[in-house]
Amino acid sequence: MTVDFRALISLLAGAGVEFIIVGGAAATAHGSARLTLDLDIVYRRTPANISRLVRALAPHQPYPRGAPPGLPFTWDERTVSNGLNFTLTTALGALDLLAEITGGGGYDELLPHSDRLELYGVECLCLGLQRLVHVKRAAGRPKDFEAIAELEAIVEERRKLG
Amino acid sequence: MTDASRRTESFGPDPVIEAYKRDVDRTLIRENLRLTVEQRFDALVRLQQFAAELRRAGEAASTTDEAR
Repeated sequence: MTVDFRALISLLAGAGVEFIIVGGAAATAHGSARLTLDLDIVYRRTPANISRLVRALAPHQPYPRGAPPGLPFTWDERTVSNGLNFTLTTALGALDLLAEITGGGGYDELLPHSDRLELYGVECLCLGLQRLVHVKRAAGRPKDFEAIAELEAIVEERRKLG
Repeated sequence: MTDASRRTESFGPDPVIEAYKRDVDRTLIRENLRLTVEQRFDALVRLQQFAAELRRAGEAASTTDEAR
């Protein structure tokens, strides 16, 4: 299933959810040509924000990705408060909700390293290119080597453009 | 600042990444940098749709092979 980035980002931003786009989608925002099949976001772990997040996603059937159907999964504030990271399927596509990321921390720590984007008519935050390289290198996953190489090449190409 | 983020404040060049970098297609990057962020996401969605179509076609072809 494809990700409806327009709908997901508009939905979350429109609902006032405090989130930062990270991962492959952030790489796309910065100019990556690599395919990513989900939207990764770091969300702020305050009760009010969790409540906004839960209410925004509730109509779109969030469910643990890859889990067998019929699990007693309840999408509510309590579930999100008791957990940290959620890899979900939704009617709008795959969505990863992250409380924090390796090498970057949580929302408040990533905020100073984030860029403000005007995207699909809404304002949202995206992890900055340099910090994206940092967190991917900190994660140290071999599967990220190609992605890191591309991100560093983007940094170099941007420098050439001035 | 967490311990995790503090640990990542300085990264020097990594020879493994430098080796991967030689194979990066910079023409695609330069094309993408000419686009707006929204156009980059639109291109990603088209790529996702193409990947899904390839996957469907591949599965259909393997089903046909198995039926023979």
